Amino acid sequence: MTAAPVAPVTALPLRDAVLPAPPVAVAPQASFADMLENGVDAVSAKVNQADALARAFALDDSIPVHQVTYALEQARMSLELLTQMRSRLLDGYQQIMNMQL
Amino acid sequence: MQAMEISRTALDVEWRRIEIASQNLANINSAAGPSGAVYRARHLLSGPAGDFASHLENGSAADLHALRGVAVTGIVEDNAPPRLVHEPGNPAADANGMVAYPAIDHAQEMLTLVQSSRVYEANVVAMNAARQIYTKALEIGRHS
Repeated sequence: MTAAPVAPVTALPLRDAVLPAPPVAVAPQASFADMLENGVDAVSAKVNQADALARAFALDDSIPVHQVTYALEQARMSLELLTQMRSRLLDGYQQIMNMQL
Repeated sequence: MQAMEISRTALDVEWRRIEIASQNLANINSAAGPSGAVYRARHLLSGPAGDFASHLENGSAADLHALRGVAVTGIVEDNAPPRLVHEPGNPAADANGMVAYPAIDHAQEMLTLVQSSRVYEANVVAMNAARQIYTKALEIGRHS
């Protein structure tokens, strides 16, 4: 029995292996209110998309069912992120408002 | 979210593969139709998804930076000659009493079905894992 020679391992560029670092905002480009509004709009768009897909599936089940459940899940996850953001921001706001002067 | 999107592309591809295997199995006993053409077994081709331009720019197929999942690259028809059966009473028979049936490999189609369902399941598991770590990440710093 002869063993086949093992091919040498070639390394890919490092940039392919690592996750991109989170962007560090030095000077915010948009105002905080804009940021919040865009976030809410994005969540709303996802919920609407999921709603449209669920409707389309009810009418015509040639759409693969996983596309519907995937869209619903995406909408749910975005909404969860939104509620988390809301509760944390509100928490910070209340802490500042309750500050003893 | 990227991990879930990758799994979703795989679900789409395997769904299609199962549809095609079902189509092949459904036509296993289809004699040649009125047009005289025999059904040919179809096979789905799939490959890593990615836009063509970025492949050209980088000049390598192993562009790991862009993880875009999998995509259907095409459907091919098997060009195996049809299975000829002597059935003189069949209206689809030719002058020699032979009826052409498609050359579909039954075992091969069953294997495709089993394999595709397992791959589908595995991708659902991968998607759920990504979803779970996403919801776990939302718990960072939560104290209520």
